[in-house]
Amino acid sequence: MNCENVRPILGAHADKELDLVRQMELEAHLQTCSECAQRAQALAASRQALRNSLPRFAAPVQLRQRILSSLRPEATPAGPIVSGRRSTSWSWRNLGGMAASLAAALVLGYSWGNRHARADSLWNEAIGDHVRSLQVGHLMDVVSTDQHTVKPWFIGKLDFSPPVADLADLGFPLAGGRLERLGGQTVAALIFHRRLHSINLFVWPTAQGLVPTFRGVRNGFRAESWSQDGLNFIAVSEIPESELEQFIRAYRDRTK
Amino acid sequence: MNSMEAFVPAEPRTFEQLMLPHLDAAYNLACWLLHDPHDAEDAVQDAFLRAHRAFDRFRGNDGRAWLLVIVRNTCFSALRKKRREPVAVPFEDELYGSSEDPAEANALAWQEIKGDLLRRALERIPAEFREVIILHEIEGLAYREIAEIVDIPIGTVMSRLARARRKLQNELLTLTGKGSL
Repeated sequence: MNCENVRPILGAHADKELDLVRQMELEAHLQTCSECAQRAQALAASRQALRNSLPRFAAPVQLRQRILSSLRPEATPAGPIVSGRRSTSWSWRNLGGMAASLAAALVLGYSWGNRHARADSLWNEAIGDHVRSLQVGHLMDVVSTDQHTVKPWFIGKLDFSPPVADLADLGFPLAGGRLERLGGQTVAALIFHRRLHSINLFVWPTAQGLVPTFRGVRNGFRAESWSQDGLNFIAVSEIPESELEQFIRAYRDRTK
Repeated sequence: MNSMEAFVPAEPRTFEQLMLPHLDAAYNLACWLLHDPHDAEDAVQDAFLRAHRAFDRFRGNDGRAWLLVIVRNTCFSALRKKRREPVAVPFEDELYGSSEDPAEANALAWQEIKGDLLRRALERIPAEFREVIILHEIEGLAYREIAEIVDIPIGTVMSRLARARRKLQNELLTLTGKGSL
């Protein structure tokens, strides 16, 4: 790569949107070209400034209420969206929502057959794995802060590739990865740091079944599970809820 | 619900569950596009109603992208009405040379730029460019998601962002009295 074909994609590089090959070629060029390197730095600084200082406007409470009351048929009997058919389907949707909440509540702590048992044991196992990983010497099989080292390490060891994101700028530097057993299968564990704490992120394909959704604290460790793009995820850590939420949001955003 | 479904964890499926979590994202985008909290509220409420009417057609799990498409379209319609003129669609020449930063690209000390100044500069660039910066830097959306929301190719997202940053930089230089590039 030379300056001419590097310049138009410097922005995509700062945004971490380049594929691995182009990224490596571009970084090789930055090693040798101080002018491009300077531009790359300026771009990184501008991103930092934008993300640190632009306000995100939060919706006022009354807007939420206005929207809710305009959506709920009982609140607006003469509303434009409440045709007979629609209000019927809407109430069915509400029922579906109630079923979903009920199911989530069940997963979260009430005994209810296989699903609960499975969620329960997965949750315990994930926390156990996390706790063991905190013991000296067992945290990582591959130690690297570089996503392009960690990701290839899993190739050949697993039949899927866990998405690895760089979240260092948000205070969640990547620390490494390892293989772990969870729910009777081999999963990828990614380790991120948060100050002196660790976050274990377990990843495996949904081909073996969707992970039961859970979210909460057990034995002082917070865990949350979700599925996305054919993969199941469980994040476990001892950091505060807001920080784990921030981590999960950022990880999901950057690996989409 | 049949017996198979009982073993699959229930995902949120109602309109409220899928769309309301993205109310802040919707309102934030509307505020930045319209510059007026009241207009933004109206646009967001309108967008939610439209989204609700079209909810039968919603497929998949990404409620945010789906909602933001409707929000941004509602906002751009409002902008058009306000201006009584069509909103200019930026000419996508950025990929072919003109997106390159000017030589003075590094003249700006980003670390010293204060939030208020940045906000004023951002409000001065055209809405089409402001939009991609908001979606990318505040909402943290990837190029692919922005492409989907704005309905442009991914390459155009890249070039439009590059051009938006350049415009923003020019505004910042103007506002700080260093003149336009």
